[in-house]
Amino acid sequence: MPSRLRPFVGPLLILVLWEIAGRFGLVASGALPAPSAILARLAVDWSDYPGHIFATLFGAGLGFLIGNGIAIAAGVLFALYPVTSRVARGLNVALFALPPIAISPILVLTFSDPVPRVVLAAIGCYFVTMTATLVGLTQADARSVDVVRAYGGGRFKVLALVQARIALPVILSGLRIAAPNAVLGSILAEFGGGGRWGLGVYLLGSLGRGEPDRLWGIGLVATLIAGLAYLAFVVLARAVTGSSQAVTVPTSVLRSTDRPRPAWQQGLIVLASIALPLALWWALLAVLKVPAMLAKTPPALYDYLFGLPGSPATQAKLVAALAQTLPMTLLGMVAGLAIAFVLALGTQLTPRLIRALLPVALVTQTMPLVALTPLLVLLVGRGPAVILWVTISVTFFPAFVTMAQGLLLVPRAALELPRAYGATVWQQLRLVSVPASLPYLFAATRLTAPRALLGVMIAEWLATGTGLGNLLNQSRGYLDYGMIWAVAVLSVLVSVAFYQAVVLVERRVLGRLGMAVAE
Amino acid sequence: MGDPAGISLRRVSKSFEARGKLTEALREVNLACAPGSFTALIGPSGCGKSTILRLALGLETASGGEIAVAGKPPAEATGGGITGVAFQDAALLPWRSVEANVALPLDVLGRDRKPYRDKIAELIELVGLAGYEHALPAELSGGMRQRVAIARALVTRPEVLFLDEPFGALDQILRRQMNIELQRIWMESRATTLLVTHGIDEAVFLADRVVVMASRPGRITRVIDIDLPRPRRPELFNDPAFHRLEAEIAGALDGH
Ligand SMILES: Nc1ncnc2c1ncn2[C@@H]1O[C@H](COP(=O)(O)OP(=O)(O)OP(=O)(O)O)[C@@H](O)[C@H]1O
Ligand SMILES: [Mg+2]
Repeated sequence: MPSRLRPFVGPLLILVLWEIAGRFGLVASGALPAPSAILARLAVDWSDYPGHIFATLFGAGLGFLIGNGIAIAAGVLFALYPVTSRVARGLNVALFALPPIAISPILVLTFSDPVPRVVLAAIGCYFVTMTATLVGLTQADARSVDVVRAYGGGRFKVLALVQARIALPVILSGLRIAAPNAVLGSILAEFGGGGRWGLGVYLLGSLGRGEPDRLWGIGLVATLIAGLAYLAFVVLARAVTGSSQAVTVPTSVLRSTDRPRPAWQQGLIVLASIALPLALWWALLAVLKVPAMLAKTPPALYDYLFGLPGSPATQAKLVAALAQTLPMTLLGMVAGLAIAFVLALGTQLTPRLIRALLPVALVTQTMPLVALTPLLVLLVGRGPAVILWVTISVTFFPAFVTMAQGLLLVPRAALELPRAYGATVWQQLRLVSVPASLPYLFAATRLTAPRALLGVMIAEWLATGTGLGNLLNQSRGYLDYGMIWAVAVLSVLVSVAFYQAVVLVERRVLGRLGMAVAE
Repeated sequence: MGDPAGISLRRVSKSFEARGKLTEALREVNLACAPGSFTALIGPSGCGKSTILRLALGLETASGGEIAVAGKPPAEATGGGITGVAFQDAALLPWRSVEANVALPLDVLGRDRKPYRDKIAELIELVGLAGYEHALPAELSGGMRQRVAIARALVTRPEVLFLDEPFGALDQILRRQMNIELQRIWMESRATTLLVTHGIDEAVFLADRVVVMASRPGRITRVIDIDLPRPRRPELFNDPAFHRLEAEIAGALDGH
């Protein structure tokens, strides 16, 4: 067989098997329609699509532009003035950890149409791109920076001549992840209800009607859009990074450049970083003049949770939901990370694997997980298993990209050195690849923790009717604003707490090994 | 102090704190390089040679003592564009061509590249890289990259030149050639030069003065004047007087 055709054999085989399984209703008694049936249905429904696609894409595109614009500006600011990143830390972590679905009802009940989409799409982009910008800007080889500084160059010269160029491919890989995130954010905004247009609306509307072929069609179209957005940045990154691989072995990463400060300043910075998100929450409600009935300020929420006669019942509901949600989140996350870690190490052994894997990762993982959930429900039913499947799916992709990207940065010389001493592949993995991937494993864990919670909540909302996701959906139905806010804030707090725990472990482990944290 | 283009370190100390451990890299170092002089710095690995250069370039701040380059604080001198530097590692920007890497100091100092076009071409030729002007660092060997770094150090016509083992990555033959070229450049420009080296022969051949250091803590143990007439020719490497000086330095390095 000509070797050019070989890559197509696998997918073709899958397609044929899928067709057969669909034709004869072999999977989950017909929940998996044949590709031909899905396409036929797509053709029938085609006139419905343009309006829905446009609504989703418009929100995603606008949010992408706004979110990334803010993110890059923030990343540059944080890199130039490290103290600002410390003050904004609380806000950054909250924005990052916030499960978009948790604030979707709030946004939809408070604002009119494109705003919720744009906000959630922008939030989906912000942290990824801000972090990429900051990491890219600060990972500049210290020796190159020294050359510029040795001629009296200040921070702006270093930024313009060295850091910006080094950051570019990193920022592009951030945008690559941000693009499907924006699509996902836009669709999640449609969950809040109320709208007529959007792929999410279409999906929710079709979910109750039990038409697997239509659901699959919507899922495939949503995936295609997210995949194309991702692909655009792959192409762009390849064009830009073609000839700028690091040439010499970077032995040092720029240290965090904020100078040591006296204790009272440290304390002030920590206080400011905690106060900032709360102040912003309050200020936004005040500035936008949101009616007090809809919008809970921090004290109003406190009152709802602890000051009213119904408060103990509220608390009990929240605790019970949390007890259902947390274990699933942990389990799904660990499984997703483990698979991603093994596959990322695999790419070190056979670089061809990354080329073979990325398209697969694309199709199954770029698929906006909301679109994925109904399909998984069809396939595995409404039991707890579906939560796990959704969670693994949403954690695997970003974790894999983070680790594979990180391992690509391991200098060739470092990889070849053990080989030069006759090391086996396993020794090379143990001596170089695994230690080198540690900072990225931690980075991936930080990145995926909130996504795992999001995945669980979506599955709970759409499928199982348990946990925080279900509580949110129910409260939305009852217009129980207090509970909607309580669940939103609780989800963010859980997410932030989890993130902080990972950071603490990471600092200890990497500190002991003398490695830099990939912040 | 107040030398037109000299280097002066007075009772300079430097300690590093890394992972809770304090390293005394330099203790009470006194060093004065007269304008137009050529000083070689030699000593065991880790004795603080690079640290002296980095302090003089303002890349680190001293824990104690005073440093002046051309009578000014380091930051002022480097920002004024009167210094040139080549580090132990070429540290080229991988996305810039040879030519653009050589021009980097001009970009940092905000100078127009145009008036320097001939100078850049001449320097690239001088380090034997004619024809590679548009090559990227990844396409060069380690020695070639190091030569680009040397050309880069000279592009601003520096009055004070800092060289940190610039020929460490070159083979012996090329190294001798570059030594002879460096002497020629130095005699033409009379830039005050501080050269860090591990090669005793290189130090004796090039320098007016060899400063010998010892480690833990980093300090200067001896200063040996080299009174050999200039221009020094390759035959000098086989001269008995040359060998006597080499032996003296080797002895000083061993702690005699
Ligand atoms: N950034 C740093 N952090 C901690 N310690 C440092 C740092 N830079 C240098 N040192 C320590 O200072 C001492 C002197 O280092 P320096 O690089 O000046 O040595 P050197 O004489 O140039 O050695 P070599 O000949 O190997 O280049 C060493 O013990 C080194 O470990
Ligand atoms: Mg050194």
